[in-house]
This record gives sequence, C-alpha cells and structure tokens, in this order.
Amino acid sequence: MNLEHFLKSEAPGWMDVKGLDADIVLSTRIRLARNLDGYRFPLSFTENEAQQIDGMIYEALHSINADGHKFSHFTIKEMPALQRQVLVEKHLISPLLAKKEKSASVHISNDETISIMVNEEDHLRIQCLAPGLQLVETYRIASKLDSKLEEHLPYAFNESFGYLTSCPTNVGTGLRASVMMHLPALTISKQIKVVTQMLARLGMVVRGIYGEGSENLGNIYQISNQVTLGKSEEEILKDLQEVALQIIKNERGAREALLKNSRIILEDRFNRSLGTLKYARIMTSEEAAACLSNVRLGVDVGIINEVPLNVLNECMILIQPGFVQQYAGTTLQASERDMYRAKLLREKLNSNNQKLMEKGEERYDV
Amino acid sequence: MVCEHCKEQQATITVTQVVNGQKSEKHYCEVCAQNFHPFNLDFHKEEQIPIHQLVSNLFGLPVWNNGPQEKAPSTSQKSAKCPTCGFTFRKFLNEGKLGCPQCYETFGKQLPLVLTKIQAGTTHSGKAPGKPNHHNEWIQKQIDSTREQLQLAIHEERFEDAADLRDEIREMERRLERGGVDTP
Repeated sequence: MNLEHFLKSEAPGWMDVKGLDADIVLSTRIRLARNLDGYRFPLSFTENEAQQIDGMIYEALHSINADGHKFSHFTIKEMPALQRQVLVEKHLISPLLAKKEKSASVHISNDETISIMVNEEDHLRIQCLAPGLQLVETYRIASKLDSKLEEHLPYAFNESFGYLTSCPTNVGTGLRASVMMHLPALTISKQIKVVTQMLARLGMVVRGIYGEGSENLGNIYQISNQVTLGKSEEEILKDLQEVALQIIKNERGAREALLKNSRIILEDRFNRSLGTLKYARIMTSEEAAACLSNVRLGVDVGIINEVPLNVLNECMILIQPGFVQQYAGTTLQASERDMYRAKLLREKLNSNNQKLMEKGEERYDV
Repeated sequence: MVCEHCKEQQATITVTQVVNGQKSEKHYCEVCAQNFHPFNLDFHKEEQIPIHQLVSNLFGLPVWNNGPQEKAPSTSQKSAKCPTCGFTFRKFLNEGKLGCPQCYETFGKQLPLVLTKIQAGTTHSGKAPGKPNHHNEWIQKQIDSTREQLQLAIHEERFEDAADLRDEIREMERRLERGGVDTP
C-alpha cells in the first residue's frame, strides 16, 4: 500500500472498535525491543551495517506468515518531514525514528495496528496498538510475531540479561506496555498527583500522550512499565493491568462525585467547550485538547449525546500540528495553524452533526 | 534581558507556566515565543535534563571522579574496552547507552551495579528464544511459589487455606500436562 493510505486525515480503523473500559482507556500499546547478534547498535553502527540489518528484517518479515497482516515498507530518508510528523502523531513511528538518517525504515500493517521500526534506538522495535484496555491480548499478538521473526533472525540474547538492547532501561524482556487513559475527573479533583507518585513507587511512568512534557494536554495520560529486567512479561502485564484497573476505579469514583456535587457547573463547562469547538475561529492546540477532553467527559457521563466517541477520537489526533498542516496542504506558522485547526474542528463536528440528524434515530445508538 | 531560548534577541515576552503547581517564568523574544507550545518537543529539549546525564547522575559518575578511595575501580573500569564497538564503561555512563550486544559481556561485571538501580533485578526471567513453551515455565514457577505458600499454611496450621492451595496446585499441574494451551 502506498504512503497516502497511512496519511489520511482520519482516525485509524482500529480506533473505532470499542475496547474494554473504552470510556477511560483510549488504547493499549505494546512495544518489544530486539537486536541482531553480531551487529552494533544503531548508536555506533555503520551505514553498511544499517543496510544489511534493514535487508535482513525485510526478508524475514516477508518469509513469515504474519496471520494475514500485510505490511508496507517505507524508508524514513525518502519521506518529506511533514509526512514523518503525521506518522509520529499517529504513533506509528517514534519521534526518534523520524529524525534518523541512516537506513531507518518502518513496516506498517495495513490496518495500522502493527508497526515494526527498523534501526531506531534498537535494530528492531515491534509495536502493537489496540483500542481499550487489553494488555495480554495485544502482547500475544506482538509476541507471536516476535517468535516468528526469531526463527529467521539471529536475536541478541544473553541467558542472564535476556534480550540485549542499546539502553539498559529496555534490557531483559524488551517489553514496554502502555495504556493511554483519559483522566479528567482525577485531574480536576487534583488526585492525579497522588496517582503519579504512587505509580512511581510501583515502577511505572506517567507521560502525556503527545510526548514528554505534555503531561496535562487534554487530560490524557500514558501509563507504562519502567522495569524490563527481573520481571517476566506476565508479571509486567499483570502489574500494569492491576494499576490500570485501580486508576479506572478511582476515575469513575471521582466522576460520580463531581457529577453529584456540581452537575450544573459540569453541564455548563461541557456545553461551552462543545460550542467553542464548533464555532471558534482560532484554536490553539492546548485549548482544542482541553475542549475535546471536556466534551469527551460530557459524552461519557451522558450529558452530551450528539457527538459520537469516534469523532472525538479522530479530532484528538487531527488537532496535532502535522495533521493540521497536512489538512491545509502546506507548512504553516503557529498562528496560521490555529486558524486551520479551528476550521478543521468546525468541519468535523458540524458535518457529523448534520449526518446524524439525517439518519434520525441512529444518534441514540451511540 | 536576552531571550532565554535563542540567547540573541531582546526578550519581550514573559511566559508563565504552571506545571504540577510549580510556577515558572520564562523570558523569550517574539520569534521564540511563537514556537513555544507543548507540541514542539524540539523547543523544550534544552530545558529537559538529557537522559545520559540522568543516568550518569544516577550511577554516581561524579562520585567516581572525586572520591580518592574509589580511584581503583574507576581505573579498571576505564581500561575495559569493548572489542566490537570500542565502547568503554565510561563512555556508556556518558551516553547512557551501550554500543553493541557484545558490550553486555565486556561489562558483564559492572553492569549489574547499574541495573540494580534502574531495574527490578539483574537476571532475566521470561521469554527466551527457542523456548516456545515458556508459558509452561511460568506455570511451573507459579506452582513452586504456591507450594511454598502451602508449606507455610500447613506450618501455621491454616488447614482450610492449605486445602485451597493444594487444589490450586492440582489445577495448575493439570494445565501443565495439557501443555498450558488453554488460554484464559
């Protein structure tokens, strides 16, 4: 498939499927880091080594049966900067890979659930995405693919250190499991700080979904395991699962309390945000993310009925600078981006509303 | 005042940011202030502590520099050089990353010291190449730990618990015999 398929201004299909606890957990991500024995890590390898590795992984991936998944291969060097940024914003490649010059590439499955990054920090990074909370299921998909690749690739593995990685924070299982959570009520009630501290003690990290340093944007948090050595995959997943369930419980409790104590304030806030999204002419990314978070919470608690969740999911992705510029068809200054962002949101939210009106009763199905 | 970001232009804009209740003020020029938004990771990069610095802080690199008593291990660490990629342990501490798979053998003695600080242990447990049945190993491990609990329960005369644990072990053993294929 050509690159345009992966650059479309819409949410990937897998996001439409409703996962478990989808009101709070947006998605689950599993990442496995692997390296090939006898080759230096991307930090110190030569262009020649990079090309060999790229070739070997390409061969391996095409000689296995990947459970019906078809992969498309793209070389990072050959992509314009804006297209790389769009792939980063879709979480299909990492910001680090987007900057790579030496034979770095990515294999993306056509449904966008699996991406295999080549020559990022490690030779091989297998990533699987799934909607809602499904750590074990998603890990199984990644692990199965990993086991198949292993038959064709000489993985660097050591009995005592496990899978060897460039950074010692990934060595062992090479597994990083993350859940993206929308936690507006915990944020409003200032409980999120306590949660963050608790998680740090349990060996978990909290980050903003749009990358490091964006902790508060849209009240979306990415919670992942820190430890990769000394714990088996099952233990890592089990611990993260337990933590996620605990946070979901707290968030639900906080939502109920908010609704009970200040319903009218919330109703006002949700509807104002919806109004802003639908009619504003200038929208910064912060404001857009904050408004989308409010509307999403409004939909979750049943105060707002006219916006389907999948439209919100889509908007959350589309408000990022890369997508806004792609929508405009050109690179833009920050102030111009804010105008195009507002236009994009108006189109998405108003057109959908009309469609729903035409369809009549269907809107109550959401 | 000079802009804190480009350090060239006159700072004309003050950005006040509240992160986790901590208020901070930054002074930028007009051009840099335009680029100041949370999505722009490149812009914020300089303000973040680089990971290698964090790693070397964590592993006490400065201590090795200053402590006269610890000079001995420091020199031995310096001399070890990875034959494949030329990395020294010092370079690893500076970069926060290793150069090649061979490094794990070259620095096999020093690495556990580092790993205990950032990981849950120094030995891998879990998936391994060529061992597709690792699910079985996991069950076996669970059986072992449940057996220990069983012994404890018997010792403390909690016989009802012991009976439950015994049943659990039987169930797990049955699963192991079936090849651990029944997915939960």
